[in-house]
Amino acid sequence: MGERTEQVITLSLPSSMQHVYLLDVVVSEILREMEFGEDIQEQINLAVIEAGTNAIKHGNKEDLSKKATFQFILAEDRLTIVIEDEGEGFTRQTVADPLDPENLLKSSGRGLFLMEACMDSVTYEANGTIIKMVKYKQTPNP
Amino acid sequence: MQVNLRHKGSITILDIAGKVIGADALALRKIIEEQVQISGNPAEPREHLNLILNLERVQMMDSSGLGVLVAVHTSVRRANGQVVLLNLGGNVRSLIVMAKLMTIFDCYDSEAEAIAGIMKS
Repeated sequence: MGERTEQVITLSLPSSMQHVYLLDVVVSEILREMEFGEDIQEQINLAVIEAGTNAIKHGNKEDLSKKATFQFILAEDRLTIVIEDEGEGFTRQTVADPLDPENLLKSSGRGLFLMEACMDSVTYEANGTIIKMVKYKQTPNP
Repeated sequence: MQVNLRHKGSITILDIAGKVIGADALALRKIIEEQVQISGNPAEPREHLNLILNLERVQMMDSSGLGVLVAVHTSVRRANGQVVLLNLGGNVRSLIVMAKLMTIFDCYDSEAEAIAGIMKS
């Protein structure tokens, strides 16, 4: 049986929205290296930026003394991204549905929805302070 | 992100380029809101309240950028103005479709059509 190897890349950012660009640069390079299709790259990139914004802005409230940590686990068939912040956390179920007609004209509240729409799975752990997202190279069988 | 501002008659056109993500989305909102305030100032002519946001060279937009489009749409309407979107690229269009906002925005594929659309209203 062939040995399956995973590479783990870790990025730790001070909680400033200015650093979302660094995240974009790192993710773009990882995705290029993994040879995801162009459309899939855009989806993953968007999901990671949304997760980063969530961790930095809503989790750590842009407190520069707090870190947002991103772990990219590169496997042959998938990319797993684990995002951790030092905030108080949240409960996914309490976040309003941005597609509800009464929320459509709100200027915020779409980040989690977009992450979930772009990735194959998104799970929330440790009261929402850890988010784990997975994208497969090929769509997994149901 | 780069934003270039130009005027055609009573219409202000913002040519936006690059990635509208993170802090730059907030910067874009500030730039546009300044235009709305200028237009809403009684001491100034209200001739630039009509905005065209040209998104042709936008490579990427996140939910913060999308939120700016929604907020601007609301504030410009409140000031009796209009904002229309021009040249949506594939990824921005996908984002707007995913968020079910296509019915909210007036979208055009050419500047002439966008101007005609504003003048007609």
